[in-house]
Amino acid sequence: MTEDLGNILKEKLANTSIEGEIVNLEPLTGGASKEIWKFEVNANGKSDRYILRRGSGVEGPLAIKTSDEAKIQKTVRKLGAQVPEIVAVSSLDEELGDAYIMKFVHGESIARKILRDEEYKNTLPKLAFECGQSIAKIHQADINEFPFLPSKTVFEQINDLYQTYVSFNQPSPVFEYTHLWLKKQNFGEINDALVHGDFRLGNIIVGKDGLKSVIDWELAHIGNPLQDLGWICGNSWRFGNTNKVVGGFGDLADLLKGYNSVSNYHVDENMVKAWQVFGTFRWGVICLIQASAHLTGSINSVEKAAIGRRVSETEIDIVDLLFLGGK
Amino acid sequence: MIFDRPSSIELLKAVNHFLDDKIKSEVPAHLAFKLRIVENVLNIVIREIELGQELSEDVTKDLKELIELDAANIDDLASLIKAEKINIEDESLKNLLVKLSKNKIAVDNPNYSTFKKLVE
Repeated sequence: MTEDLGNILKEKLANTSIEGEIVNLEPLTGGASKEIWKFEVNANGKSDRYILRRGSGVEGPLAIKTSDEAKIQKTVRKLGAQVPEIVAVSSLDEELGDAYIMKFVHGESIARKILRDEEYKNTLPKLAFECGQSIAKIHQADINEFPFLPSKTVFEQINDLYQTYVSFNQPSPVFEYTHLWLKKQNFGEINDALVHGDFRLGNIIVGKDGLKSVIDWELAHIGNPLQDLGWICGNSWRFGNTNKVVGGFGDLADLLKGYNSVSNYHVDENMVKAWQVFGTFRWGVICLIQASAHLTGSINSVEKAAIGRRVSETEIDIVDLLFLGGK
Repeated sequence: MIFDRPSSIELLKAVNHFLDDKIKSEVPAHLAFKLRIVENVLNIVIREIELGQELSEDVTKDLKELIELDAANIDDLASLIKAEKINIEDESLKNLLVKLSKNKIAVDNPNYSTFKKLVE
């Protein structure tokens, strides 16, 4: 299988005038929903590193096509946002399938390594500010460049998530309560923007000297941009460092300082809580979606089965935020 | 139970030990990551067998008091909240939702940060 993939990659890259021998093709631990491979191309005594990101052609209800992720990255790269350089895009009807190839970016994406390794000790204190800046840059993209992206108000999203939860026929008193609560919140009057949708450790590449690249755009959409700020403040993405509100490494004030240094729209700390609850509910429903792929038999995956038991993490986070003074 | 030892829990623990002791070092990195998930899954099953009944009854007892219905279950509570047939500002409802969430995570992932913070 690896050998076949190597040949397919070689052919695809030849069209973009990257020619050479494909070596060291290896699968990486990626998200639960996409294949990620690393490989090198050897030519003229030189070796260049690349990453293949490949979808199955069957997206979950919230995800976009893998090839559309590539289109977004190409556009925001022109605006100065930090994203990997795309070298080839493949559509579903090609042999490679719904996929793209990008240049390898040096750094680390594994959250626990970034949070624990000595190497990143000096990076972490400024990372929240840099994430705020990076998110604000993404939000400055012209939404007219992305006609292929779904556009949803927050209340449409809440309703979609709720209906998805209902469809799994696994009633949750906490989710019912959350749904009622969310419908009554003010999420801020702000112009629609390109929302990354999953900006957090795991989906950013961090180097010794700071944020290097934003990856994994499969949940991108057009909507209220404050969603990205609430999402990275969810406890689900603190990886155990629960007292560091931003991604397990930073403080909300620093994230917003970074954001407000780039954005024309000023965001206050008190605008984030409703989005934190929204984000936690959203992650809970995504866990249900992932688990259902296993439960309905469409995929047999212990990884997806296990994620069904992470819904309770989002429930305890929500009751903590709503009733117990959680931040 | 008519079954001999090892008990179901003891069997699962033996499997987990085998995976950790003999298999983990033999598999490539991307499978080692999945192996950790497999071990976590087995641990969920072990905790559910050990604690599941008690944790469920603990919630059901409060639930019956709250909605004064003997046959009440979690699905009924979800329906009552959905239809707003229960006062959602009621402190005992909030307390029950907290207990329900704590008791579920106690089986699913007792190392989860929010749970550890709340039980400390």
